[in-house]
Amino acid sequence: MDFSLYDFDPAICDEMFVAEGEPRDHCQAVVEALGALPDDDLNTIQERVTRSFSQEGITFTVYGDEEAEERIIPIDCVPRLLALAEWRELEAGLVQRIRTLNLFLADVYGDCRVVRDGVIPADVILGCPQYRVAMRGVSVPNDVWVTICGTDIVRTHEGFMVLEDNLRVPSGVSYMIANRKAVKAGLRRLYRRSRVQDVEQYGSLLRQTLCELSPGGRPDPCLALLTPGTWNSAFYEHMFLAHEIGAELVEGQDLLVNDGFVYMRTTSGLKRVDVIYRRVDDDFLDPLVFREDSLLGVPGLMNAFKRGNVALANAPGTGVADDKSVYAYVPDMVRYYLAEEPLLQNVETRLCRRPEDLEYTLDNLERLVVKRVGESGGYGMLVGPHSTPEERDEYAKTLRADPADFISQPTLALSRSPCLIEGHAEPRHVDLRPFVLTGNETRIVPGAFCRVALRRGSLVVNSSQGGGGKDLWVVDL
Amino acid sequence: MLSRSAQGVYWMARYLARAGYLSRLLELQVQFLVDRSVEEIHFGWKRIYRCMKRLPPPGEEFLPETEEFALADAFTLADDLTFERSNPDSVWSAVASGRENARQMRHCISGEMWTCLNAAWLRIRDLEAVDVWRTPEVFYARTRSEIHNFVGVADATMYRGAAWRFMRLGRAIERAQLAVSLLLAQIELSRLTERRTLGWASMLRTHHALEAYGRVHGIEMKPDRVLDLLVADPSLPGSVLATVQAAAAELEGLGGGPGVDADAAARRLAGRAEALILYDWPEASEPEELLERVSQSARDLHEAVLGAFVDYAIEDSPLR
Repeated sequence: MDFSLYDFDPAICDEMFVAEGEPRDHCQAVVEALGALPDDDLNTIQERVTRSFSQEGITFTVYGDEEAEERIIPIDCVPRLLALAEWRELEAGLVQRIRTLNLFLADVYGDCRVVRDGVIPADVILGCPQYRVAMRGVSVPNDVWVTICGTDIVRTHEGFMVLEDNLRVPSGVSYMIANRKAVKAGLRRLYRRSRVQDVEQYGSLLRQTLCELSPGGRPDPCLALLTPGTWNSAFYEHMFLAHEIGAELVEGQDLLVNDGFVYMRTTSGLKRVDVIYRRVDDDFLDPLVFREDSLLGVPGLMNAFKRGNVALANAPGTGVADDKSVYAYVPDMVRYYLAEEPLLQNVETRLCRRPEDLEYTLDNLERLVVKRVGESGGYGMLVGPHSTPEERDEYAKTLRADPADFISQPTLALSRSPCLIEGHAEPRHVDLRPFVLTGNETRIVPGAFCRVALRRGSLVVNSSQGGGGKDLWVVDL
Repeated sequence: MLSRSAQGVYWMARYLARAGYLSRLLELQVQFLVDRSVEEIHFGWKRIYRCMKRLPPPGEEFLPETEEFALADAFTLADDLTFERSNPDSVWSAVASGRENARQMRHCISGEMWTCLNAAWLRIRDLEAVDVWRTPEVFYARTRSEIHNFVGVADATMYRGAAWRFMRLGRAIERAQLAVSLLLAQIELSRLTERRTLGWASMLRTHHALEAYGRVHGIEMKPDRVLDLLVADPSLPGSVLATVQAAAAELEGLGGGPGVDADAAARRLAGRAEALILYDWPEASEPEELLERVSQSARDLHEAVLGAFVDYAIEDSPLR
């Protein structure tokens, strides 16, 4: 792999190089090894990695007009590297953040001190579509509201920043493990020499974490993973995780509630379920409490949950803490709940519900990224620098019509990492999503689903918008 | 085991057994096109269509018995049975359905089984029809071999739990139904021809029983002996008796299902089918009538299995 023509840009943080032709210390050996690898060999490895995804059916499903199409997330075989020391710094920030968010959720559905003390305006919380009235006054096992969190992290010259906390049903962890398995098989010797931290224990850590939620500490709890169904785009991940943690993969139709307990229909009768790792959104969990037209959920599930007879991971209502408006207040929450300074920074965020922020946003549309509060996956977003004047005019109209539904952030120069593009090393923008597990303690495997904007110049890493994946190596070098 | 998962694994096995069986029938049939008489070719097509309970593309069973038709339209018929998406029993559809069930239930099967089946599916999915029809027998033999391979991989790698039993049960019931159906088609069509031995040798080849027949009965082709071997020889894995006994054994291994009445019915049906062959078959004056009864038992067995383990009434079930 020839790095001599690599398009290094000093204005943008590069994950592998500090200056043109000068690798970061922990990347030195990998750059040398990849540099010595003939292009044909690397292309073969890339093809093998892609083929292995296809053969193993590591896919997500896209539904078109006629029939479902199984697609693979394109994976780039060149790993992104992070030094163990950098990882430790990130890990500490993630732990601090999840502690805060769990405290916030307990508070916001409890005494609401955070509002009474004026840290967050009441309307930000009550106006959030993810705030669940049904969760007021509810206590959850071990005070853990967010058992599984996937935090989107970006890096610029200023350091790591949190782009988004995903506290509802974050996905992508199966790709972290699949990417690792495939890239490790392709770059065996390099992997061994690089002293890469292992991520494959994620399944056992997740199982341990979920077991800690067992109602009344019931030993050897029965775990179930609740999936919306086989048509769901993340079904592969649901199946993969159910297998990893030894849980039954259930749909709503497999469960029923009897006398306040949840049971699943098995070939030897009804069996009580203790912990449900649900991958179904709040709205569809229980038609008696949330959307009554839901066919995906289980009537009576919330009653069983409130009575403490079944644990749900994550708890319903956690979406209020990853709302894009509430996000802006997380640094204040850290100071409020923990009396500490935030270790991880937020991206500067303006809430268009505030007149001065709206005005600023409208005046600077061509420089900002504007997002809808309730959208995710890169949808409903305007990337100012990549938009046309007509698109901005159109977007401004929507923005003025309902300012509270929007936030704006500066367009970040996300860090870039070398990728194998048509046989050459080319930089592409990347982010990473580490997964934080919280039971009796917080556990994080040293790795992440690293997303790549594969289109040249693109800043959008979402797989639904042409993004791909990369293996993240946390190296002890 | 989750009832819906058991059902998925059961159907996976049924679809794959169907794809394998049909591939074998078509493999032999396309070989006939090279050197057999028009009468024999037509006999083969009619037997396959009757076995699969389907009408040929024109929508009626009558096939003009001319050489031109036999050769020119053979691929229309083969295509209808192989790649026709609207035919749920075509090889393509059966492999697709088997693989889709496996995809949904892959946490219940071994990783090796999934990879094996998925690789076979990707090959079939990406085939160009023109390449298949150049050497169709190679395609059928390979598809059949891939399904055999899948069964072998399952045997070597799958945990012997409930999923294993439901998979074997599905395979046994499907094979029993198909074997009886093909035998009934053969008997009915034999009556319409003056050549008494027509089709019996290929019946043996379909069930990989030509060598076994030769060892037991010599080289003379006698229809009643072929019938005996294919129905009642417990040592022949594809015989009706062997498949019914396999289904009964898996049912026994599963223990009682929560649908108590259906469970009792399932055991009764499996026992009855086995008893019919063991005790009534040797003296049966109307083999067709007896095979119809076995066929009905196999169909009812399917319903009873689902009633016992999958669709049981909640109030029947103890809470655990």
